[in-house]
Amino acid sequence: MFGLEYPPIDNLVVWPDALFEGTILGFNKIALISLLAMLIPAAIFFFSKKDLVPRGLQNVAEGAVELVEKEVILPAIGPDGLRYLPLLLSVFLFVFFGNIFEVIPVFQMPANARMANPMFLALMVLVVFTFIGFKYNGAKFFTDIAWPPDVPVGLRPLVGFIELLSTFILRPFGLAVRLFANMLAGHILLVTFGVLCIAVASGWLFPLLALTFPMLVLLTGFEIFVSFLQAFVFALLTAVYIGLSLHPAH
Amino acid sequence: MLLLLAAEAAEEAGEAASNPILPDMSEMVWGVLSFALLYALINYVLLPPILRARNDRAATIQADRDAAEAARARAVSASAEVDDQLSGVRAEAAELVDEARAEAEAERQRLVARAEREVNAMQEIADGEIEREREEAMVSLRPQVADLAADAASRVMGRSVDASAAGPAIDRVMNS
Repeated sequence: MFGLEYPPIDNLVVWPDALFEGTILGFNKIALISLLAMLIPAAIFFFSKKDLVPRGLQNVAEGAVELVEKEVILPAIGPDGLRYLPLLLSVFLFVFFGNIFEVIPVFQMPANARMANPMFLALMVLVVFTFIGFKYNGAKFFTDIAWPPDVPVGLRPLVGFIELLSTFILRPFGLAVRLFANMLAGHILLVTFGVLCIAVASGWLFPLLALTFPMLVLLTGFEIFVSFLQAFVFALLTAVYIGLSLHPAH
Repeated sequence: MLLLLAAEAAEEAGEAASNPILPDMSEMVWGVLSFALLYALINYVLLPPILRARNDRAATIQADRDAAEAARARAVSASAEVDDQLSGVRAEAAELVDEARAEAEAERQRLVARAEREVNAMQEIADGEIEREREEAMVSLRPQVADLAADAASRVMGRSVDASAAGPAIDRVMNS
């Protein structure tokens, strides 16, 4: 009706390789964002002063550290989880900076709207919590999942199967899909309103810009919040899974 | 025809490769490398100084708090000491005041006694002088009184009375 030409999904999320085309090291926009998601937090931490009274970047770095410590690790694991601070901080920062490029001009693409990074991170989390569970509980970690001791014997095979499926398949799958789907949906939403703004701006529907443009601005703000929220949720769930592996009885 | 088939095949291949659900291996490789590098940097290089700075700050704050607490305790102790000293000084001052009061009282009594003595002495002197003056007056008046008495007696009796003969009687009257 509006003569709107919506770009195919490939145009929104698939980016051609700029370097090493066709190889396993093919370097495209997502790879660049992944690199920047590593370089930017590293630069913030590196260039932040280590003064007695924090200012500027030091506030940002210490704020991130305290956020992960106080809002992720302590509630989900407890004080003995502080040894996982580097891992959980890295996860939070990498996911957040991978997400936030969704609203940065020129890039306008979250790295986590592609499945590669969420899947890799979810698999890494799977490996980490499995390793921790085995390290601190031995084979009991697996046997308690597969053959839950507090469940009536007749139900154990069924519950054990469900627990195995839940722990080793659904947890990482949920982590990856939650992040990926949220960021992809946000990206599509922003593209939709962006396209809508362009479409109505050039024709007789110009007054509609008064509705579509504020919505685009609002959604941009909302996506900044979602970028943070998804990074926080990913780090929090990682901490919860690590906590469950450390203290399986809980 | 061949071109059309090749184009279709390429399109199908393109569709398969661009399935947004499936991960792109090269993106995953860069993701793994980036995350591994970020984790290594944070774990070994970037996080320790931040934690150290934070711990130093916490230690400084704790030390300052301890120092403030110690200073407060010292102030409380000094205040108690001053209170003790003040109460001692007050007691000493009260003692001095009592002593001074007692001394003043003694001095007052001494002065009063001396004044009384002086007054008594002066009164004795005055009494003596009065007595002496009275006696002198008696002595000086006696001849005139004797003359007047002799004259009065002469007139009453109708005969002359000698003043010297009336001397004993006049002495008796004047001494009574």
